[in-house]
Amino acid sequence: MGFLTPWFLAGVIGVGLPVWLHLLKRHKTDPRPFPSLMFFERREQSSVVHRRLDYILLFILRAAMLVLLALLFAAPYINRSRPKATGQRLVVVAVDHSFSMRATQGGESRLDKAKREAQDILSKVPATNAAQVLALGGQVEAMTQQTNDPEALRAAVVSIQPTDGRASYSELARFARTLAESSKMPLEVHLVSDLQKSAMAAFNDVRMAGDTTLIVHPVGGEIPNWTVENVVAPTHVYDPKRVRITATIAGFAAPAAKRNVSLVLNGKPVQMKQVDVPANGRAQVEFLELPVSYGFNKCEVRIDSADALPGDDSFAFSVERLDPKKILFIDNGRGAKAELYLHTALVDASADAAFQIETQRPENVANASLNGYALAILNDPTTLPPGLEANLQTFVNGGKGLLVVLGTSSAALPKVPVEDDVIDTTRYAGREREIFLTISSFEGGHPVLKGVGRMDGVRFYQVTHVTPVKGHALATLNDETPLLLERQIGEGKVLVFASPLDNSVNDFPVHGAYFVPFVQQVATYLGGSGAEQPVNLVVDQYVELRTGESKNTAAEVLDPDGKRLLSAQEATTAKTYPVSREGFYEVTTATGKRSQVAVHADRRESDLAVIPKETLDLWQGTGSGGAGGEGTGAAAGGDSKIPWSLSPFLLLLLLGVALAESVVANGYLRPPAERPVIRKEAA
Amino acid sequence: MLQRFLDPGVLASLASLDLVAKTVVDGFISGLHRSPDFGFSQEFAEYRSYNPGDDLRHVDWNVFARSERMYLKRYRGETNCQVNVLLDTSGSMKYGSKGLEKLEYAKFLCASILYLAHLQRDAAGLVVFDDEVRNFVAPSTKQGQLHRLLHAVEQAQPGKRTDITRPFAHLMDFLRRRGMVAVISDFWEAPERVIEAVQPLRFRGNEVVLFHLLDPEEIKPKLRHPVMLEDLESGETMEVTPDYAAKEYRQKMQAHMDDIEARTKGAGMDYFLVDTSRPLDGALREYLALRTGRL
Repeated sequence: MGFLTPWFLAGVIGVGLPVWLHLLKRHKTDPRPFPSLMFFERREQSSVVHRRLDYILLFILRAAMLVLLALLFAAPYINRSRPKATGQRLVVVAVDHSFSMRATQGGESRLDKAKREAQDILSKVPATNAAQVLALGGQVEAMTQQTNDPEALRAAVVSIQPTDGRASYSELARFARTLAESSKMPLEVHLVSDLQKSAMAAFNDVRMAGDTTLIVHPVGGEIPNWTVENVVAPTHVYDPKRVRITATIAGFAAPAAKRNVSLVLNGKPVQMKQVDVPANGRAQVEFLELPVSYGFNKCEVRIDSADALPGDDSFAFSVERLDPKKILFIDNGRGAKAELYLHTALVDASADAAFQIETQRPENVANASLNGYALAILNDPTTLPPGLEANLQTFVNGGKGLLVVLGTSSAALPKVPVEDDVIDTTRYAGREREIFLTISSFEGGHPVLKGVGRMDGVRFYQVTHVTPVKGHALATLNDETPLLLERQIGEGKVLVFASPLDNSVNDFPVHGAYFVPFVQQVATYLGGSGAEQPVNLVVDQYVELRTGESKNTAAEVLDPDGKRLLSAQEATTAKTYPVSREGFYEVTTATGKRSQVAVHADRRESDLAVIPKETLDLWQGTGSGGAGGEGTGAAAGGDSKIPWSLSPFLLLLLLGVALAESVVANGYLRPPAERPVIRKEAA
Repeated sequence: MLQRFLDPGVLASLASLDLVAKTVVDGFISGLHRSPDFGFSQEFAEYRSYNPGDDLRHVDWNVFARSERMYLKRYRGETNCQVNVLLDTSGSMKYGSKGLEKLEYAKFLCASILYLAHLQRDAAGLVVFDDEVRNFVAPSTKQGQLHRLLHAVEQAQPGKRTDITRPFAHLMDFLRRRGMVAVISDFWEAPERVIEAVQPLRFRGNEVVLFHLLDPEEIKPKLRHPVMLEDLESGETMEVTPDYAAKEYRQKMQAHMDDIEARTKGAGMDYFLVDTSRPLDGALREYLALRTGRL
């Protein structure tokens, strides 16, 4: 017998309460004065007996209630023998086939060694015992059902193939717990693995069920390994000469070494560098320029390590070459400084020069086609020529973006063009008196303001006050004047900046730390075409194929070998697809957008450090079966126990005692009935 | 008239004991008692045959002239009587279950009797005692005697007592003339000891009335739980159960009262049980009716 929460047994101390009430308290009552005790007899014994007899039952019931309550909270249980229907154990053989099992030692891969070990285990399982083979990768894959057929089991082991996934022992433990629950049999789990430290999780996640015996069969130990751990590269290239690629080379349990690092573009090395990787450390390599052609390009960073795990010596990434997006800057000739600042921020200061600016006068674009532009900037508008506002509205409705910059001339307008909110007045603050406005509140999570923050130190001396009715204020100055507004119109968006983008009435453009990212984020936000597919993924992550709106159009996923991965039904219904191996996938979403996705193995698999023995012992001790020795498979008929809660019975007992206490207490505490006494009246 | 029905608890709130006594006794002036002495006053009582040695001055010579027989002429006494009130102030008199202590009630009763005696021109006296004689006001009809008596009553404080015989032995020294003696006490003693202590007064020719003053809780105690009781006189404590108090104690108490009454009457004395829950005027009315019936 045991208790799940034994600390609650301290509640038994509460029994002292009825003891005090029934036995101690009554002895300590203050004496009541009475004229004479000559007619009372000193019958202490009988009095105490009387009291005890009267109240002993009530006392027992109350004490029992408290004891039962404490026991109930302590959650008692007894171990009962599990019904031995078959007297057997279910032997589970889990073979690790994660990415690290590709490592070779002595001319044999770890996976091959593990499969041989698994065959040995299965050969020792008695013919009467059921067994099951699992493959442990990113997920746990059941290779067979529970079966007694040794041939099926051996064939399942043979069929296990190496994968690029990352092993997770918590997944194995969860599977084993579920299996123990459903099979109603004690489990004997044999884990054949390289026991990577990085695959371990918190003990609560990896604990085994109470009647599970975990036996580990280590294959391979910790060996030196170098890997390309990470690559930082742009996903879109607009100017090949302005590309910067940074690669991190890591060595796990490895001595200091020189490594040759090459940048491979579409299968051809284009750059090579040598790097000194410290012992158990990391080194970075930077490649400038990437002579990619238009369209998708398959890129890799490789090292020439001669270690046991060559699979992690390259890191694939995908790059798409595009033309810069055109920005239409509509200005009446007075915003030359604003154009200069914008050009500096978007073109000169940009790492990838994703945008190019084309300036036009309002009358020139009033009726012209705007199809070639990604976004438009309407700078300091005054009275617009006929047709321009309608043209811009059409432009925005079609899914493009528009930035309206309200300058000193805009105060005369009754409302903001296209955005349509009313312009009230202009707020001035004198420079000479150093009275200025600053941003007081903003939506930090908005893509336009992300990282820009409060713009500390930026002073606004003149702001056009717009009452946000149709639009939504993203940033507000300290006099409650909206500085940045947004409105969704059709498929597109309109942003309104209530102060000029030159430094005539503010000093925003000269605060490059805020101005440059702000302008770039505005351009990306308005000029982009929505969230793009991530093009660099880790194995077992998912590519998005469709959102909820596009159901009837087909999506497509081609694996690195060019094979179609989706069935016809999946192509029209699947929302996501997991990428399970390294290489370049070609993905076409349901909206028709095509992308090339580079997939690489989780680099935690590259660290071949082994779980310490102490940790392993603790893990094996989580199951009541404890750590097995070599594994018998014939530990059938072991005396396994399962905890059996006594709480329901205690609850019923407590209910009965409470009822009895109520009845008894009612009888005792009721005022005594007056008993007639025959007496003679005084004469 | 309404004051006749006032509860003793209400009277206790009145400050002046003198007023209280007047208020309570007023209206009973017709209840004059007679002196037990047969003297030679104006009221004829009876003739008695002459015996050698009788005083010849009391012979009715007119009867002798007509019948040649000698008879003595006797007259009934009137107010030439001592009324002594013996007030018990023992510790047990301190008890009171409803706010009014027995001693307070006893003081009202005592003051009323003394006032009544004073109105009758009797020589009223007072003895306050517990285990000793604590105060003594000699019987007198002098002016200011009533005030002296009431003052003594007011000054009476509860004391101790474990033995009633000791103070009564001393009382004999103070009460030399025959008269009426009213003893006000709760008589928490064995009946034989009470009678033994009081009986000498009767032997000396006194008219003795025992006012047995008891609280209703003393007669019928009501307990809900076992309680620890403390004797007000001895300080002794004892645990008592409701069951015992409801049955055995009541039987014993009733037997005790019956025994005292029987022994008192057997000794030629009057016994009068006073329940302190009753209005005082009712008790006095009963007392006077009792005396009138006897005399």
